[in-house]
Amino acid sequence: MIKITDLEKYYKTEELQTIALNKLSFEVKKGEFVAIMGPSGCGKSTLLNILGMLDDSDGGSFIFNGEEVIHYNERKRANIRKHNIGFVFQSFNLIDQLTVFENVELPLIYIGVKKAERKKKVYEVLEKMQIMHRRKHFPQQLSGGQQQRVAVARAVVNNPKLILADEPTGNLDSSNGNEVMDLLTELNKQGTTIIMVTHSEHDAKFSHRIIRMLDGQKVIENSLI
Amino acid sequence: MLRNYFKIAWRNLIKDKMFTILNVTGLSVAFGIAILLAMAGFFDLSYDKFHTNADHLYKVYSVQQTSKGPEASVSQPAPLLEALKAEVPGIEKASRYLQQEAIVSFNEKEINMDAVWVDADFFDMFTFPSLKGKINNPLEKQSSIVITESTAKKLFGDEKAIDKTVQILINGKDHPFNISAVVANNLPQSTLEFELAIPFEKEADYQNNKDTWDSSYHDVYIQLANGVSPKQFEKATRALVDLNLQEQIANAKRDGAQTNADGRYYKFDILPVTDVKFTKFKNGYAEVSRSTPYLVLGIAFLILFIACVNFINMSIAKSGQRLKEIGMRKTLGAKRKQLFLQFWSESFFVFCISVLLGLMLSILLIDSFKTIFRTAVSFDLLISPTIILSFLSTVLLITVLVGGYPAILLSKLGTIQSLKGKLDHSGKNKVRDGLIVIQFGIAILLISGTLVLREQLDFMRNKDLGFNKEQVLSFPLYGKKDSHQALQLLRNELASNPDILEITGADNNLGLGKDGSLSKSIYGFEYKERVIYTNSLTVDYDYVETLDLKIVKGRNFKRGYANDSLSVVINEAMVKELGEKDPLTAYVTVSDSIRYPVIGVVKDYNFEKLDKSIQPITMFLNNNEGLYYAYVKVAPTNMAKSYDVIKQAWKKIAPNATFLGSFLDENINRTFRKEEKIAKMITAGSIIAIVLSCIGLFAISLLLITQRTKEIGVRKIIGASITNITFLLTKDFLKLVGVSFLIATPIAWWFMKEWLQNYPFKIDLSIWSFLAAGILTTIIALLTLGVKTLKVATQNPVKSIKTE
Ligand SMILES: Nc1ncnc2c1ncn2[C@@H]1O[C@H](COP(=O)(O)OP(=O)(O)OP(=O)(O)O)[C@@H](O)[C@H]1O
Ligand SMILES: [Mg+2]
Repeated sequence: MIKITDLEKYYKTEELQTIALNKLSFEVKKGEFVAIMGPSGCGKSTLLNILGMLDDSDGGSFIFNGEEVIHYNERKRANIRKHNIGFVFQSFNLIDQLTVFENVELPLIYIGVKKAERKKKVYEVLEKMQIMHRRKHFPQQLSGGQQQRVAVARAVVNNPKLILADEPTGNLDSSNGNEVMDLLTELNKQGTTIIMVTHSEHDAKFSHRIIRMLDGQKVIENSLI
Repeated sequence: MLRNYFKIAWRNLIKDKMFTILNVTGLSVAFGIAILLAMAGFFDLSYDKFHTNADHLYKVYSVQQTSKGPEASVSQPAPLLEALKAEVPGIEKASRYLQQEAIVSFNEKEINMDAVWVDADFFDMFTFPSLKGKINNPLEKQSSIVITESTAKKLFGDEKAIDKTVQILINGKDHPFNISAVVANNLPQSTLEFELAIPFEKEADYQNNKDTWDSSYHDVYIQLANGVSPKQFEKATRALVDLNLQEQIANAKRDGAQTNADGRYYKFDILPVTDVKFTKFKNGYAEVSRSTPYLVLGIAFLILFIACVNFINMSIAKSGQRLKEIGMRKTLGAKRKQLFLQFWSESFFVFCISVLLGLMLSILLIDSFKTIFRTAVSFDLLISPTIILSFLSTVLLITVLVGGYPAILLSKLGTIQSLKGKLDHSGKNKVRDGLIVIQFGIAILLISGTLVLREQLDFMRNKDLGFNKEQVLSFPLYGKKDSHQALQLLRNELASNPDILEITGADNNLGLGKDGSLSKSIYGFEYKERVIYTNSLTVDYDYVETLDLKIVKGRNFKRGYANDSLSVVINEAMVKELGEKDPLTAYVTVSDSIRYPVIGVVKDYNFEKLDKSIQPITMFLNNNEGLYYAYVKVAPTNMAKSYDVIKQAWKKIAPNATFLGSFLDENINRTFRKEEKIAKMITAGSIIAIVLSCIGLFAISLLLITQRTKEIGVRKIIGASITNITFLLTKDFLKLVGVSFLIATPIAWWFMKEWLQNYPFKIDLSIWSFLAAGILTTIIALLTLGVKTLKVATQNPVKSIKTE
């Protein structure tokens, strides 16, 4: 599903140039659950942003579903993104002004799903995430775990083929964290490819394979199956 | 403590420079413009208030019932003054007033001057302070005249003017007059304007008119004792009306005129002197309307209002960024009053700076303002304790209200609410939205007003007036030489020039010439048991041909027809007035018995300004009456050259006179000065209104969009396109502009309809002017919003979600 080769990314600031990704290569197959680990600042989030087509790379190749997407412009990438990829962030990134229902509904609006259909789909995932009873609440009225469940619901509502999760349990206690991990595992079992960045060895154990990074490079890969 | 507030206020202003600059710029511009406009408005309102006795001074007018309804006039017969003084109790002083040019000579100098012919009381009633010479009653002697300072300079240079003797041409003869006093120059806010004042009894026609009640030709001013009301005055004049105006009353009865509410046919009434400038007589009623100065003051107020709204909205929008600060301060024990003072001192600071900058701006702009808007206003006219005090209190009031509102709003917030850093869930604010709607409503109102006004002005400028205004130029003929003779000399001089097509003369100009004089004469006569009024015009041969008037019946005056000087040519409106099936059988009665037959009818043409419908006019060919203007028609090619040729020719004929020729289209355009002034004011007002509104919109969008940066990032990650985001960020504002349009348009429509009522010749109001104003405003608002919106919409979403 994803194949990157010699992927590079630099950040230039006034004082110094940071090499965030240094000729990174790996492959993720359809249906896999991959964890990415590494010390702070090694480039995990940068990698995830490029895989999610939110950011440009500065070199290398990125093949998504058999298509070379490295030179795609903003509009094309946005199009691939909104139909194929769901995101989960450490800080949830829900929209404060919208209710739970509206937050989850948003991706469907942007891909042009009809209203009745939207309602059905949103209710389905809210049911699955066990957050249905909270659908009229605003994000501030929810606990962190609940908020993250909403975020996951929003990420999966349009059945993406790939979910990118950046430290999804980072702001949660262990029991809430486990709930989210169970959700992801369940989604993976149903066929969704998942790439997850995490600092927790515990969470990483839920995956099939761990890619360990250091200074923008892959250093080791452990297969867990 | 206070110093501390100001210190923190200063720091906060410095911290967000963009915001402070937008705020201060908007307010300073608004203050500057509002000061100028308010000055112009108050200046206009102050007309004739400078007379010490202003509250007791009145102008007399008469209302005569006619078969066509009541007709008012300020022109009075010469014996009225004495009759009033004798019969009406409470008249302390009174003076006749006639404005008529006089040719004054001193040694070699001979100057045509604006003279007024007045009675001795004049200088006791009105405040024209004597600088030199006789202070009390300077016109006591019939051989005395009073001149102004600048007249003294014109006549005598730096020499002493008092007791000098000048010659004034009256009835073709020079009469000596002695200068008894020099008064200060006329103030610009005076409706009474003169270069010299001459005793009324010396006026050329006085001897003929002094006992006749049927020749009205001058104004009358009176000074009433305390407590005499206009109604009492009117009642007191009834006896003298019945005694002296029997003939007029009898005519009115015979013509089938309706009496007025008091059952009378003729009455005298009075008008406060301070209303004279603003009075229009409509259907016999004195309609006092100060709408122009109030319009100007209104625009000043609206501009100030828009700027204040900006300030309030920007403060509220900005407060979103300061909620945490407020929460922390409260947690640390700040009281509501202290918070209020904190925020209010910031506002106060901004206002002080803006008022000072605004004042500087107005001082900087005053000269261009005066030329552009043709106002004589100046700072020293207005520097008085009352005005300075009211200015300061206005500023203070604005500061308290406008600076206080956001301060109260912020200081009222609960601690937890502010610590959470959110004003409310939706980020919407009804007060803000309401204010934005009003702001843009004002802008749309002014813009549509501008468009309609300009359309009407264009229409009037380009309207076919029924005569050739492009090819004809006119110039005044005044001077000692007989005008008919002068015209003949001009014809001879220009006869060989192929570019000069026709030459004629008349006793009136068309439009407003360079000499700035506008006059008309109304002639009334009895026709088949009715009184008919008509404009009368004395013309020379070729008047119709020169102006390309159309003869619809009969013929124009022709040379060689001996009886033509005892005939008249009339217009279609006059035909209607006479009511004859064949107008060529009608006649005009002159001197009670002589009948001048109608020999021709010209198609109606607009000989008066377009705010008047076409009235009856009768042309006389009279070699004994002076002609005051020459008209020359030139070929359409080489018009500039022809102008010079005529100027040179005139120089030969009258070497001492200045040539004040101008083409009739220029003259016509000059009559639209008032409209142009209003158009300019409202155009400037609408430009400033829209610019200020957009400054506010820009600042608010800046703050709101910054607050929503993270949300926008999230939306983009979830799949929102740039279009989605742009729409999201602009739709709320555009909705507000839409609501403004819906509210402002009917109001604008009503105002413009009212205004157009003044013009019998007018455009049809079309929805397009209003739509155009709405669309223009929307586009400008969109562009304003677009700057920041596009930047955020295209920003990398990863960056956006990182901003907190
Ligand atoms: N916008 C940016 N400008 C400059 N440098 C950046 C930017 N974003 C990331 N970096 C740098 O790139 C490197 C990789 O950052 P990245 O966020 O990918 O690290 P990470 O592995 O996700 O760290 P963490 O585990 O703390 O989230 C770091 O050195 C970081 O300082
Ligand atoms: Mg990271």
